[in-house]
Amino acid sequence: MTTEAPKPAAAAEAPAPPPNTITIDGREIPFEKGDTVIKAAHRAGIDIPHYCWHPGLSVAANCRMCLVELPPPAGRPAMKLDVLKWDAVKNDYVVDTKPKLQPACQQACAPGMSVLSESSQHVADARSAVQELLLLNHPVDCPICDQAGECRLQDYWLEHQRKGKRMKQEVVHKPKAVSFGPTIVYDAERCIVCTRCVRFTEEVAHDPVLSVRERGNLNEITVSPGRELDHNYTLMTEHVCPVGALTSKDFRFKARVWFLRSARTVCQGCATGCNAYLDFDPRNNTPYRHRPRENMEVNKYWMCDEGMLSYSRAVEGRLLEALVNGADATVDEAVADAKTMLGGLASKPDRVAIVLSAQHSLEDNWALYTLAKAYLGVTRFFVTGRPLGEGDDILMSEDKNPNTAGVLRLCEGTPPRPLADLLKVADEIDAVVALGGEIEIDAKELAALKSKKVVTIASHVGPLSRIAKIALPACAWAEVDGSYVNKQGRVQTSERALVARGSALPGWLLIGKLGRALGFATNWKRLSELRRAMVGDGPALPSKPGSEVRA
Amino acid sequence: MEPLDQDLEEGELELPADPMSLNMGPSHPAMHGTVRIVVELSGETITKADVQIGYLHRGFEKMCERGTWNQIYPYVDRLNYVSPMLNNVGFSLAVEKMLGVTVPERTQYYRVALGELARISDHLTCNGAMAMELGAFTPFLWNIRARDMLWDIFEEETGARLTHSFGRVGGMAKPPTKYFKDMVRATLPRILSVISEGEGLLLKNRIFLDRLENVGAFSKEDALEWGWSGPCLRSTGVPYDVRRAHPYLVYDRFEFDVPVGSAGDNFDRFMCRQEEIRQSARILEQCLDQMPDEGPINIDDPRVVLPEKEDVYTTIEATIQHFKIVMEGIKVPAGEVYSYTEGGNGELGFYLVSDGSGTPYRCRIRPPCFAITQSLDRLIVGAMIPDVVPTFGSMNMIGGECDH
Repeated sequence: MTTEAPKPAAAAEAPAPPPNTITIDGREIPFEKGDTVIKAAHRAGIDIPHYCWHPGLSVAANCRMCLVELPPPAGRPAMKLDVLKWDAVKNDYVVDTKPKLQPACQQACAPGMSVLSESSQHVADARSAVQELLLLNHPVDCPICDQAGECRLQDYWLEHQRKGKRMKQEVVHKPKAVSFGPTIVYDAERCIVCTRCVRFTEEVAHDPVLSVRERGNLNEITVSPGRELDHNYTLMTEHVCPVGALTSKDFRFKARVWFLRSARTVCQGCATGCNAYLDFDPRNNTPYRHRPRENMEVNKYWMCDEGMLSYSRAVEGRLLEALVNGADATVDEAVADAKTMLGGLASKPDRVAIVLSAQHSLEDNWALYTLAKAYLGVTRFFVTGRPLGEGDDILMSEDKNPNTAGVLRLCEGTPPRPLADLLKVADEIDAVVALGGEIEIDAKELAALKSKKVVTIASHVGPLSRIAKIALPACAWAEVDGSYVNKQGRVQTSERALVARGSALPGWLLIGKLGRALGFATNWKRLSELRRAMVGDGPALPSKPGSEVRA
Repeated sequence: MEPLDQDLEEGELELPADPMSLNMGPSHPAMHGTVRIVVELSGETITKADVQIGYLHRGFEKMCERGTWNQIYPYVDRLNYVSPMLNNVGFSLAVEKMLGVTVPERTQYYRVALGELARISDHLTCNGAMAMELGAFTPFLWNIRARDMLWDIFEEETGARLTHSFGRVGGMAKPPTKYFKDMVRATLPRILSVISEGEGLLLKNRIFLDRLENVGAFSKEDALEWGWSGPCLRSTGVPYDVRRAHPYLVYDRFEFDVPVGSAGDNFDRFMCRQEEIRQSARILEQCLDQMPDEGPINIDDPRVVLPEKEDVYTTIEATIQHFKIVMEGIKVPAGEVYSYTEGGNGELGFYLVSDGSGTPYRCRIRPPCFAITQSLDRLIVGAMIPDVVPTFGSMNMIGGECDH
């Protein structure tokens, strides 16, 4: 933010308008070159009501909710419009004038410009009228609408209209529950045709599959003939929709938003590490959706469908109980068995392989790496994760693991090799301690490890947890605070949202238990202790994981 | 029968000389609202008393932090549950003070009328129960018969006989029914005659008077020091009545007397309440004469008052209004307020803190009977066990508001 230096008190010349500031309702705020009024206000934390404007999309200026009054510069006449105004006393319309209002989303800032928003009665009248118009044909849907509780129409009605509509006629009816594709349902009656979804598909997803058809109160959003809304960013159209017109098939009728709480998480879908909110219901400990959290350095305002739907992995496919030779056991029993099994290893660390996981957090990996390297003296490190997938140049990475960069950075001295290499040297090892259940190669190839002493600490069931003699249930990312390094090399932290399911414990805690059972001083009982140890561990780690900007 | 001439040595017949500890309550017929009094007795005289509240605890104040402002009405109903409407009115006024709104005049009269009916019901219950605990069951039934007439009115007006939940921020749940004034005017004389008959049964009764006169006396100075208010304070001779000292609603438009006692004993407390019933009747008569028959009941602010149900089902604007108020609650400006009214037992205060959201940040109650109950031990030490019952009865401790 740039602020001007205080002027000398004795400045005699006529006060020149201060450079690069505008005043909104008497409050002076700075602007940057090319800013519109709403953008400068948005940055300064002043809320100008709007539907169609979105900081990440082009300006449409079609909702007219952000109208503001611009008093003319000194000495210039105001631009006035002749209007007919209802006079309640005369019970008739009378001729009147009012200033021509401007949409704040389109009006460029000029130095010294004065803007009236909350303080102008004309603006208040206009916003009330716009709001009345937008609700004119709106169905009585709040009780069955997923948007209720986070709907602009509701918020702005109370803030700017607060009265009923004057129209007595039957409202215009339009198509409801139109399927736009595999993920999105459209309700034309609720739509205010702000075109945010149209602009999003064109400008961000680069797949202009939506457009507007018809005019006036008949217009509605439509999918291009012969197409469906089926690219990789369809759920974002629902997210940018300021009303309940677009709803997600995944979230439809599942939860009421006022019962949900949000945790600031990092998406686990790929190496991009989009910042997200995980919305969950604390009453039943269930996640309901992932939605983007603004971070201009990483994902801006957006997320892909795959990432938004990946919230379900917090509860699905989980390893919830400890397993000893495939049978349920308590965590303590499993740790005791692991001690018996791995007991003689300290003398021959060459015969042990450590498999780190790009699926698990930096904390989990650091714990295993430290146990192996500092205490056991193991030198064979491998890394696994989920196999490569689809990528694009918008957000999606081909690497579908959130922490690949983290594992590589952790083992800078001893770069981990892919799991396939472990299978090649299977004859030379007796035991494997692995993190994470999932692998990037075919599960059948693991047959070579069947006869080995495999201990797996995993949040999800996968080939590595299936072949394990002893499997320990770790918390999924949503159940524990954790750090992840995305492909840009940013360390990002993800907050705990849910209470751990089953007998799951944080992965680093399980590794600490295992280490203590083997007789080592892996005394991390709290996350803060572990993180202190991590930071103090020298150059392998970036400074202070966990303190990175949370955006 | 066993013969009594057992052969006992002289030394074994020693009588115990230690003071005796006796538990009264919490489950004792006269300990209404589950209070426990541990008394230490020397013979039948109380030498020490330990009054323990807390056996009826709902966490009223904490509960209030979870709901929206309007969802608190059912909770305040259950504070002083013999006069719920007075709590409804007191809480409404506190929130409205914070919002800076005043309800329409018709509602102000309506609130006065319903409040005074509740006060009569409160005093009838207290005095009736006190007589019953002294063995006078008939006056109790007499009073309860009169109270039932009042409850019929409440039932007609609010739909509920006891817990009305009838107040709303910015007005009332419903306007007065068509026959409200007629019902009250027809009922009042009957109630007044019932209490006169009840007095006739009691005030010449030796058993009753002996347990009232000069028993449980408290001085004016002590009462003020201990934070007494309401009929108990007035019985000691202090003419403090919130309705007169700090008039709210339209109380400054009525003529009524503030009855005071002189000795501050059980008898004065009993008589103060009897007289206050008559004064409430006076207020009611004037109130009904002045109360407009037409006009709005609620303030005209869609941010505070719910829309008509019919509109909610048919128009989107009213649906949104309903949704915002019910789901998010009324947005009361951030700040704090202390608002106080004359409840059944005295000054009923609400200290509210809002953080600007739809839910109270803090809701503190100043229940009148809490201050009164804390000095109960001073009234009964030196008295006899049978004096505890009428003394406690005359304080009208109500568990719902005392254990806040």
